[in-house]
Amino acid sequence: MTARSMSTSSVNSQRAVNNAWWSRAWSNNAPGYLFLLPWLIGFLGLTIGPIISSFYLSFTNFDLLTPPRWIGADNYIRMFTNDPKFVASIRVTLFFVIFSVPLKLAFALGVALLLNRGMRGLPLYRALFYLPSLLGASVAIAILWRQLFAGDGLVNQVLANFGIIGPSWISNPNYSLWTLIILSIWQFGSPMIIFLAGLRQIPQDMYEAASLDGASKSRMFWKITLPLLTPVVFFNAIIQTIEAFKSFTPAFIISGGTGNPINSTLFYTLYLFQEAFGYFRMGYASALAWFLLLLVAAFTAFSFLTSKYWVHYDE
Amino acid sequence: MTSEAPRLTVVTGSEANNAWRKRTFSVISHGLLIGASILMLYPLLWLLSASFRPENEIFNATSLWPSSWSLDAYFRGWNGLRVSFSVFFLNSFVIAILCVVGNLLACSLAAFAFARVPFRGRKFWFAMMLMTLMLPGQVTLIPQYVLFRSIGWIDTILPLVAPKFLAVDGFFIFLMVQFFRGIPKELDEAAMMDGCSWWRIYWKIMLPLSIPVLATAAVFTFIWTWDDFFAPLIYLNEMKQYTVMLGLRTFTDSTGESDFGGLFAMSVLSLVPIFVFFLLFQRLLIEGIATTGMKR
Amino acid sequence: MTFRVDRRQFLMGSTALLAAGALSPVLAQDSSLRLLFWGSQARADRTYGVTDLYTKAGGPAVEGEFLAWNDYWPKLATQTAGGNAPDIIQMDYRYIVEYANRGAIAPMDEFVGGALQLADFDADQLEGGKVGGKLYGISLGANSVALMINTADFEKAGIPVPGPTTTYADLAAMAEAFKAAGIEKKVIADGSGSEPMFENWLRQRGKALYTADGKLAWEVADATEWFTMWADFRAKGICVSAEDQALDTGPLETTMLTLGKASIIPSNSNQLVAFQAINQDKLTISNFPRIAADAPGGHYRKPSMFFSIGGTAANKEAAAKLINFFVTSKEASLVLGVERGIPCSAGVREALAPTLDEQSQTALNFVANLGDLLGALPPSPPAKAGEIDASLFRTLSQEVGFGARTPEDAGNALFTGANDILSRAS
Repeated sequence: MTARSMSTSSVNSQRAVNNAWWSRAWSNNAPGYLFLLPWLIGFLGLTIGPIISSFYLSFTNFDLLTPPRWIGADNYIRMFTNDPKFVASIRVTLFFVIFSVPLKLAFALGVALLLNRGMRGLPLYRALFYLPSLLGASVAIAILWRQLFAGDGLVNQVLANFGIIGPSWISNPNYSLWTLIILSIWQFGSPMIIFLAGLRQIPQDMYEAASLDGASKSRMFWKITLPLLTPVVFFNAIIQTIEAFKSFTPAFIISGGTGNPINSTLFYTLYLFQEAFGYFRMGYASALAWFLLLLVAAFTAFSFLTSKYWVHYDE
Repeated sequence: MTSEAPRLTVVTGSEANNAWRKRTFSVISHGLLIGASILMLYPLLWLLSASFRPENEIFNATSLWPSSWSLDAYFRGWNGLRVSFSVFFLNSFVIAILCVVGNLLACSLAAFAFARVPFRGRKFWFAMMLMTLMLPGQVTLIPQYVLFRSIGWIDTILPLVAPKFLAVDGFFIFLMVQFFRGIPKELDEAAMMDGCSWWRIYWKIMLPLSIPVLATAAVFTFIWTWDDFFAPLIYLNEMKQYTVMLGLRTFTDSTGESDFGGLFAMSVLSLVPIFVFFLLFQRLLIEGIATTGMKR
Repeated sequence: MTFRVDRRQFLMGSTALLAAGALSPVLAQDSSLRLLFWGSQARADRTYGVTDLYTKAGGPAVEGEFLAWNDYWPKLATQTAGGNAPDIIQMDYRYIVEYANRGAIAPMDEFVGGALQLADFDADQLEGGKVGGKLYGISLGANSVALMINTADFEKAGIPVPGPTTTYADLAAMAEAFKAAGIEKKVIADGSGSEPMFENWLRQRGKALYTADGKLAWEVADATEWFTMWADFRAKGICVSAEDQALDTGPLETTMLTLGKASIIPSNSNQLVAFQAINQDKLTISNFPRIAADAPGGHYRKPSMFFSIGGTAANKEAAAKLINFFVTSKEASLVLGVERGIPCSAGVREALAPTLDEQSQTALNFVANLGDLLGALPPSPPAKAGEIDASLFRTLSQEVGFGARTPEDAGNALFTGANDILSRAS
């Protein structure tokens, strides 16, 4: 009896401890998870399933129309040992990422700084600079790009005035990728807007204080603007790089989905799309997707690790 | 910058010199900007002129000025498909507005949790969120289609809209997290002292201070939803549910006759709403901490 | 918990729609038919005209949906994979084997004589819709490969347009005449990457692209000779440069003909009307050049596209009846014209012929009067033939054009690469 009541009370106290632990855990974590709830539902319900399924499919032979057949790591083995198009597409994509991202960001930041000086006509300029991004990658752009960069296109007509006879940029395998890089840089609207929004969030009184101290413009830029803008620079760099890795529509539209001439615009995702929907190799396409995911994840992780040395958060 | 200029001139005392320098600078930067704008504008001008051109001139004329002007393409385009473009515009508006609302709500909630509210597993979930950014969409397409079909959502706008209310656009969460992190932490710490709940901090402090980023997210969501054709292509079957972009794509077919005049005319019109939306919202973009009166 | 349900449903589906049949089609509750096709608005108008006629005549309602070629295949693949395939599917010969082998489209033999009245239907066109001996597609029209020719250039050069006796060797003389007349265009587009032209050339040599059992029906030497011939044309300025040719990304608007780079391009007879609509000079069509004056023409009448029945269609007979209306009704043919090719039913052709405009007449006459140019219908190509064409053949032709490979090298690479792709197709 006593033993029993003893044990009951110990159970009770244990329960009390548990309760305390629970209520502490609850009050510490519940608010966070409540705010996160819509995202969590979406992630678990809409995203994780398809992701797991694509991982599974990457080990199968799946033609979309009949059930997938397990083939182990064959897809991955083929990718790394016997697929010249895979190699070509990696080369094209890396080249594109390395050249388009820094140039686009530099352009966007430069224009944003210029526009942030509070000059007259600012809203108009900002809208004009955003226009190309509104056009996106449509059939109209594909036609326009051909008009600009073909052998008898506008660019060569301008160059002819300087005595330069240019090639047909868009259909020459040595230059065709550059026309797509230019397209990407030309549509610098989104990072520009994000830079502008970031610049607007820098408290004005910091500049006022600095100018009272007699700081020069360039000093203010290096000591105030840039450090406070680093979270936005970081964001834009990450996003633009991921987007560049995943870039699809421009090449799809401009090369008519082929990646030609001679695979010189065969972006990774374009190849992936061809494999998936052109040739019904969904399993192989899934393997390609997972390799891309790892590649981009490695890059992103690296950026996050180094970010603490240069990204300034208000902690 | 304009507001601090007078003070500076008083300090240096060389008013005339400074005003001259300021003017030269302004002339140069306007010159640069105007030059760049022309480069930026060229495509739009080209598109505009193409929409008024005779069809056979579109592909080989190099001058921007059409040999003759006609509005034919506009009339032909507007009613050219079986369903009039007014229906497509309405559909696009409904979808885009709903997506904007969904994204602003759901993404800011999640971003607030990631940026400010401490909880166990925050880093893990943040990494998961980043991962969703990196996965190419082509691969999750089929499983998602199967999922939406199994709950009977095919042929409705739900697959396009509902996910936005569940914050599947990691881009905007990440964007907002970066901005929230830039907002001085003392603000919510002070509010915490005053006994404010997390909800009140989110609603009364974070959101009002984040107008630039919310406006950015709204602009992007609207434009991207408006421009997207792949999701509508996959999920919408009946033409009377088509969006503008989907309508545009039916003008051209690589295997036969295409109506490029109609395509360009409707392309021009399709740009109008997103341009107007951009103009309206860019005013909000300018508002930030500087103008809300909340200074640290 | 909702997650588990979702995930299970999703796994059930995504592990590949074992379930395609089990998940009952959403639209099955009403008796309307879903029709999916690719094409332009002009084709859609004609197609809807026919479905309206059909419904008015007491048939079930038809929900038609059309897309551009590039959008069509991802959408069809997604719908099929999602167990939501349309009842009637427009099919291309490049994909019919693929879809048929996987049961995504249904054989129609049981309806022949019943829902499908094909008594006066051309035998070769019927044959063209068969896969493994079973009928999977009804041809919507016959066409033939053809040279699309700008007649104005030849008038200006003062030489006759290419005709039934023109040979590849004659092209050089034409180029001379063009130069003499001060025409800056080249005579012909670079055809080295045109699979139909290669096929025609092989057939004139008594070979073919593929054997009946889906193997290559030519040798390395053939491919090498082919690439060498075009390299020679390129060097002599008979055909356009590789840089110009690469501007052609598929649509009619980017062909060398429309861009004004060449007077002749390899094309199809049924595209004459569409090409004429975007070209100011008068166009005509003719057969592909012969390899020698006495060589067989190598042409055949090819089904331009098919209607197939979706593998999961709830009422296949109703679908077959609608297809029958499309291809055998004179009323329907007056609406359809020759937009999808020359009708395959003799009776329909007779009724239609007098109503056609000049260009359509030209196309019809060309296909109907191929004469000694006409050869036997080749066996349907293996499932991966499209991939060999798009991802290998065209790239190699560009590589030779840009000097990245020699013709010999390309001939070897085509042979081994094509065999590799064929062996990979399971």
